[in-house]
Amino acid sequence: MNGYVEAGYIVGLGTLGIYAVSLLARERAARRRLGLSPVPSSRARPDHAGARRPRRGVELRERAAGETVGGRPEADGPQEQA
Amino acid sequence: MSPGAGPGGGRGTAVLRVLGLLGLVGVVATVWLGLWVTPPDRFMGNLVRLLYLHPAIAWVMYIAYGIAFLSSLLYLWPRTRALAWDRLAGASSEVGVVFTGLTLVTGSIWGRPTWGVWWTWDPLLTTTALLFVLYLGYLAVRQIPGEREARARRSAIAALVAFVDVPIVYFSVLWWRSLHQPPTVDDPVTGKTYVHGSMAWTLLLSFVALTLVYAWLLAHRYRLAALADLEEGEGLELAIAERRAEAGGVPARGEEPAGADLVGAAAGVPDPGARGPGAGR
Repeated sequence: MNGYVEAGYIVGLGTLGIYAVSLLARERAARRRLGLSPVPSSRARPDHAGARRPRRGVELRERAAGETVGGRPEADGPQEQA
Repeated sequence: MSPGAGPGGGRGTAVLRVLGLLGLVGVVATVWLGLWVTPPDRFMGNLVRLLYLHPAIAWVMYIAYGIAFLSSLLYLWPRTRALAWDRLAGASSEVGVVFTGLTLVTGSIWGRPTWGVWWTWDPLLTTTALLFVLYLGYLAVRQIPGEREARARRSAIAALVAFVDVPIVYFSVLWWRSLHQPPTVDDPVTGKTYVHGSMAWTLLLSFVALTLVYAWLLAHRYRLAALADLEEGEGLELAIAERRAEAGGVPARGEEPAGADLVGAAAGVPDPGARGPGAGR
């Protein structure tokens, strides 16, 4: 063949591959920021670290609402974050 | 994919995986058939192998902008108005821009040995380049700060304006003198198809494979948009909760309030006015 054909396939499919991987990485990062399971599957194990992690700000909202924080009584004052 | 689908969903993920796998298998088969099985063309020689990629990419470009156009219409139509349509339009346009860029690049790689130039101001090439710029502009419009509904409305209008160029691109080879060849399959003027046998099947496979790839990319991009909307809402909630916490009790000295990093990130959200009173810390 000639270099043009190979270049066309590498550029075309390579770009699509990079874009696909970047989408997956961005989606994973967004899920992590929101405290959602990194794998959006109904079969994800409930004890998965990502699935178990509370959403960010839950503690803050609970504190604002005067509720307990992480199972510990709020009466002791602001708790150190785990 | 349902435009109303959220960012999660187990069944949706399983379908997506199958879709992605089918697309990948289709692309691998296209590469194998296109590079090693099909014969060289009588006139173009081995350069014809690039045409198992370039027209399929251009086809996906049309589909992507078509879906963005329809989604924008559905958003603007009062009876079907939903932010999901706006997300779908944005997602499809971004994927469309990637495919438009690739249409231009792969076309240029084919044009250099065929026409002797990397670029020429041919009507088809020029209108396609304009399409690329128009949808880049559309993506920029989506980033302009404002209230979520207002942003969606202005984006939908921008999508309708940008779409005007799509039929111009398609018919430019018929309306004006063009270096670019008219459609090889089902030429609208002659009604003939100029590709046969293994070449035709490989061309058809490339169209199917890249359409599947597009669907997979669109679904993931849509999910990302849904997560971004969720995050934006989360940032607003956190800002309000933070203010309430400040009013109700001062955090321990040196303690970083939970979620402060996300609130900080919310400062970058293009709607600072919606963060609640006194948000500017």
